[in-house]
Amino acid sequence: MKWFWYASPETFFPLAGTIARICAVAAAVFAVAGLYVGFFVAPTDAQQGEVYRIIFIHVPAAWMSMFLYVLMAAWAALGLALNTRLSAMMARALAPTGALFTFIALWTGSLWGRPTWGTFWVWDARLTSELILLFLYFGFMALQASIEDRRRSDRAGAVLAIVGAVNVPIIYYSVQWWNTLHQGASVSFSRAPSMAATMFTGMILMALAFWMYSIAVSLTRVRCMMREEK
Amino acid sequence: MKPRHKRLAAIGIGVVALGVATALVLKAFEENLVFFFTPTQVAAREAPQGRTFRIGGMVVPGSVKRDGVEVRFVVTDTAKNIPVAYRGALPDLFREGKGVVAQGQLGPDGLFTAREVLAKHDENYMPPEAAHALGKAALEKAQKSVVITK
Amino acid sequence: MVEIARALVCRDLRLALRRRADVATALLFFVIVASLFPLGVGAEPNLLRSIAPGVIWVAALLASILSLARLFADDFADGTLEQMLLGAAPLGVVVAAKAAAHWLVCGLPLVLLAPLLALQYDLPGPLAGMLALSLALGTPVLSLIGAIGAALTLGLRGGGVLLSLLVLPLYVPVLVLGAGSVEMASAGLGGQGQLLLLAALLVVAAAAAPWAIAAALRISSE
Repeated sequence: MKWFWYASPETFFPLAGTIARICAVAAAVFAVAGLYVGFFVAPTDAQQGEVYRIIFIHVPAAWMSMFLYVLMAAWAALGLALNTRLSAMMARALAPTGALFTFIALWTGSLWGRPTWGTFWVWDARLTSELILLFLYFGFMALQASIEDRRRSDRAGAVLAIVGAVNVPIIYYSVQWWNTLHQGASVSFSRAPSMAATMFTGMILMALAFWMYSIAVSLTRVRCMMREEK
Repeated sequence: MKPRHKRLAAIGIGVVALGVATALVLKAFEENLVFFFTPTQVAAREAPQGRTFRIGGMVVPGSVKRDGVEVRFVVTDTAKNIPVAYRGALPDLFREGKGVVAQGQLGPDGLFTAREVLAKHDENYMPPEAAHALGKAALEKAQKSVVITK
Repeated sequence: MVEIARALVCRDLRLALRRRADVATALLFFVIVASLFPLGVGAEPNLLRSIAPGVIWVAALLASILSLARLFADDFADGTLEQMLLGAAPLGVVVAAKAAAHWLVCGLPLVLLAPLLALQYDLPGPLAGMLALSLALGTPVLSLIGAIGAALTLGLRGGGVLLSLLVLPLYVPVLVLGAGSVEMASAGLGGQGQLLLLAALLVVAAAAAPWAIAAALRISSE
């Protein structure tokens, strides 16, 4: 039952601080390693030249945006079910970081789209899904911001997050289908992993960097929330 | 209603709903969910004639022929080939040996007349395949940097 | 159980009949929005025919959202909602009945009006029928999902706009499938698959949404 020991805000406060510091350092290390691999070690793409390197930020950011939404919904559900303050605070703390990564994914995606497809926005399945995910994050944050009573705000946000999480796969697949309706299925002929190993390593390193950053930032945010309430 | 009956009713409704929904989804996948066909399907006459649809595949290398304003090429999915005719400017990403999607109609002679050609960026980021091509480029770069003095 | 549901639906219908103006406003909004698009994009017949399913569907989404804000607000104001929460009837049944009444008053008219709007866009008969069918399957889902948003934003300042922000992203699959089915039909490829998927969504929403709506109502009225 050690978890419930840490569920008390007083005991969690120092632990959060320690974890946040460790993760901040880890984030910096991974980021340097990932950017090095992404920009110097990975080979040039046959069709796109150097421009493709933006995927080392775009793809991990997209992964993070989806992962954080699920995590946020999970914390919110936990808070709703077990009635623990800290779980609700974790969900509230994750939202802005998740929204940030969604925005980064959209921004880098459209920057990459310009030289490759000729326009800044291409309505392809991934970018469109990311855009809707951004709206879901904003909705969550707006709902919580507009309710003054903390308890109602936490619980209402939890219901919204759970409904959103359940809908995300449905939204994703319907956008995928919509895209094929207008652009045709993605044509790929090789069954083997289509990316060189170094490219994959670079993306994993950047994903780890973003993850460590998320942990550090959201734990710091939770600490701020705890201080505010004192 | 007793609480236990209520719970049973809720579970019952849930199960029935899930069952009906699953049946509907399975039935849906039997229908044609996209109007996009592969060359194999077109060759097997699964695509409608006289109606607009999309065909996708790879442009067969060496098949692109320009005849004035019209350009002809062959789309393949490595099993069957379909000839395509198109009037207009091809998109920048259109390359032989790369993915392409053409929208238009299939004529009675088996020629697909495209009204739109979309070269979708395919998701395979492939570095130069031959290892010695990389080596060659590196060698040239090394030679160039010797010549250019900083 | 059935009597409770029927009584609630009749009550809501009677109340809506007394406030005909509110209902009519939302429908008029639907018609106006759909009529604005040709003014914006030009009246070229081919263009209009191709954008018709999407435009009419989006107008239906917006009109639904307009009418949702009032779903629980009136009952909340005069204390009826509290009675429902404290009452013996299972809350899930109560909210399902309210959502059904909402659809009858605000969704079904959209389905019936759509073929008229399709005339404005010169959409051929069979396609207009397909459009109405897709709306018939989709608008109940809109009512159900929208009711979750209405329950969450009950009594909040700026509730209407917040409601739209919360609910519109969740509406995307319904929009995509609904408009997509008509587009598939216009390309001569059926569109039944999309309608079946819409029906599946309806079944799942009808079973799951009442739980979420009830939970949200309890949270909002504590």
